[in-house]
Amino acid sequence: MTRLLLPALAIVAQATTFADGGTVQLRKEVGNLAITVFTSPAPLSVGRADISLLIQNRIGLEPVLDADVRVILHEEISNSEFQVDPTRMQAQNKLLYAAPVIFSKPGRWHLAVAVGRNGEKASVAGTFEVAPAPARAAAYAGYIAFPPVMIVLFAIRERLIRRKSRG
Amino acid sequence: MDPIAAAVLSSWSLDWGSICLLLAIGALYFRGWLRLHPELPHKYTIGKLGCFAGGLLTILLALESPVDTFGALLLQAHMIQHLLLIAVAPPLLLLAQPVLPLLRGLPRWIFKDALGPFLASPELRRVGQAIVHPVVTWLAFSAAIVVWHTPRLYDLALRSPGWHQAEHACFFWAAVLFWWQVIGVWPSHPIWPEWAMIPYLLFAGMVNMGLSAVLSFSDHVIYASYAAAPRLWGISAIEDQAAAGGIMWVPGSIAMLLPAAILGMRALQTRRVLPAAIPSRVLTRRRPRQWDLLRIRILGPILRYRHFRRCVQAAMLVLAVVVAIHGFLGPQVAPMNLAGVLPWTHWRGLAVLALLMAGNLFCMACPFTLPRDLVRKFVSPRYHWPAFLRSKWIAVGLLVTYLWAYEAFALWDRPSATAWIIVGYFAAAFAVDSVFKGASFCKYVCPIGQFHFVHSLVSPMQVGVRQASVCGSCTTHDCIRGNAQQSTYRRGCELQLFQPKKLGNFDCTFCLDCVHACPQQNVGILYAVPGQRLREDQSGSGIGSLSRRPDVAALVLVLVFGAFLNAAGMTEPVMMWMHQWHARLGSMLPVVTVMYAAGLLIAPVLLAVACGWISRLGAREAWKDLTCSFTLALVPVGFSMWLAHFSNHFFAWWGSVIPAWNWNWIPSLELSVLDLGLLLTLYTAWRVAGRFAAGGRMALAIMSPWAVVAGALYAMGVWIVFQPMQMRGMVMH
Repeated sequence: MTRLLLPALAIVAQATTFADGGTVQLRKEVGNLAITVFTSPAPLSVGRADISLLIQNRIGLEPVLDADVRVILHEEISNSEFQVDPTRMQAQNKLLYAAPVIFSKPGRWHLAVAVGRNGEKASVAGTFEVAPAPARAAAYAGYIAFPPVMIVLFAIRERLIRRKSRG
Repeated sequence: MDPIAAAVLSSWSLDWGSICLLLAIGALYFRGWLRLHPELPHKYTIGKLGCFAGGLLTILLALESPVDTFGALLLQAHMIQHLLLIAVAPPLLLLAQPVLPLLRGLPRWIFKDALGPFLASPELRRVGQAIVHPVVTWLAFSAAIVVWHTPRLYDLALRSPGWHQAEHACFFWAAVLFWWQVIGVWPSHPIWPEWAMIPYLLFAGMVNMGLSAVLSFSDHVIYASYAAAPRLWGISAIEDQAAAGGIMWVPGSIAMLLPAAILGMRALQTRRVLPAAIPSRVLTRRRPRQWDLLRIRILGPILRYRHFRRCVQAAMLVLAVVVAIHGFLGPQVAPMNLAGVLPWTHWRGLAVLALLMAGNLFCMACPFTLPRDLVRKFVSPRYHWPAFLRSKWIAVGLLVTYLWAYEAFALWDRPSATAWIIVGYFAAAFAVDSVFKGASFCKYVCPIGQFHFVHSLVSPMQVGVRQASVCGSCTTHDCIRGNAQQSTYRRGCELQLFQPKKLGNFDCTFCLDCVHACPQQNVGILYAVPGQRLREDQSGSGIGSLSRRPDVAALVLVLVFGAFLNAAGMTEPVMMWMHQWHARLGSMLPVVTVMYAAGLLIAPVLLAVACGWISRLGAREAWKDLTCSFTLALVPVGFSMWLAHFSNHFFAWWGSVIPAWNWNWIPSLELSVLDLGLLLTLYTAWRVAGRFAAGGRMALAIMSPWAVVAGALYAMGVWIVFQPMQMRGMVMH
């Protein structure tokens, strides 16, 4: 069974995941709150991504854990728009509010964040660039390179065996 | 607890892949330790086991705990993470003397066949000795620490998860090399005297100290990422940096000074005792008892239960009846009908996964043969299957028809058609086996059975004889003739596979009749080397020599090329092409017919014949024998495509049911499966070529055309994985 387990583990180990946090796209202080928006991965490209927010009290920079957060994303040229509701539940870092998103188009995306807490509302806006999707083959180059590497190792192994048997 | 503290402590970044990998390494060490502990109880103590577990736990803490999560926001958390990876985990792992337990924990074939030639190579030993030379290890360690702390690289690692992992890997492996000589890990011998490790550690501590001082006393924030990061709890970036410098300085220095002090005391107290040589008997691997599924606790007795198969078949029969009724009477929308989802998405996915993990479990649970078994209790068939039909040609024809019809009539999208296929299958099995003796339908007709027979040749389990010597003294041959134990008749193998001469899984339905019939209980479900039967040229009971059967070669070619054609037919570019021709011709039927005639009949035959002729130039064998032999080698790459394709649909369906889970790994799984399929095909072709050629170069020449075909199929498989695919049987298209 180990024979099956090892390749399976190698597959699982190489599966890519996005953590929250990442590049700081926006940091603004509004009312009593300081809002920081992160995106991951870096650089952002078409496909799956993660948007996360750190909401802090402006004074003392204590993280705020009981806010309602909504993010609206809009791309001008294609007029693509969608909204997500980041939550702490979806975040790895439980001080952040995170949500997975899928960017369908490259280009300049506008971001509008609305934060509500105890009846108080704050909103910030900004823009960021989303690059075209990287070639899928490039993302999985390791898998395509695996057979040639193994073939080379096998050739060396065969050579070592033949040399030993000759010796 | 304070909610913020609770939030911090619950911020684990659990990556199940890493956790499984650490568990697997731990299990490997534990397996080796269990074998070594009785032989060398003073060398492989419980303390060493604890050290190894502690080392793995430290890695888990460094990579998965809040230390990792907050490393992106706080440099001091990041510094703690690096210290765990550099100064805690590697020494703990090396104190466990891990090399021998890890080697002994490996399966025998990896240790002996895969690693053995490398481990015995003098050149590689010299390279190993050079790598663990103290000068090299000290320089590698210091360079890793200094280079990765330069602002450009440190910021790069903070921005990119890939570079971050590379940074951690550099730190960890450089530290493993660094501590290797300090601890004295078997099998390397001490190159420098033990006292020389004291300056070795102290100089490394000075490098660490220098870097710490830069961080602690700098009047500006060195790393731009931390300057830009939001500040938590009012800790400024410069304060965070100074604290990180302090962590690097004090605990980092202790990590160097403490072992230096211990070594100093040992040098003063006594002369160094060289580690005792490990007896060679410990390095020699005994052949373990053959693994047998039927001897597994709980599962074994369940499988051996006389009515086990009947129970599973009955359950599958009920399911088949429900699916057929729903197919006829339910909504004629595939994703909303059991006949559109269960057979085409779940059953196929589970069947190929079962083939990969165990063996031909589908045939074991086959519901189609249950009604005829019930009828045979009252009426016995009178005729033998005609001799001129005892081949796979009928099944080949049915398979081609099925694959063509699947695409031509969109069977997956027509629940009533699926229901008719199920009813037709029951009728065909019943009709054939009512007239002819044995399992004629399974052996000569059933296309699903042939799919499983061929692909179970790469499964890791087979029904086989436990001890050949027991069969040597057997005179009754109950495994094939059957017997009457305790007044109950136990059927022998209906597929005419005589256990002592049975080779592999070909034609074996895993019915376990032979297991129940053998009075010596000498038949089990044993571990089998995947693909071994594809490369051997032995004659087996009931099947003869596979490498001399053109019907089997044709069956293999249809299944291999069918795998790629079937998957390609669901990709967007191929579908677009088909629709273009559909628009031109006004009908899809000729498009699919031409496509399948070319891809399933003409191309495979031409390629196989051409490759056989080219191989013949290097080998003095008939091209037909060469073709039949090498065609078998293509089974793994074909199976890998079926597996990648069906598991894609299976897991994608579950992904649509549980979208919150991360299903990003599906393409990785598909590519890994294709990789393994290609490698097993090439290895099999190499071994087959070895049968026809004396030297390595000649073998390479003989196998090269087949390797080209396998490589082309693999490339096509990779292309398919990267294409948008129609998710048949799902609402989401």
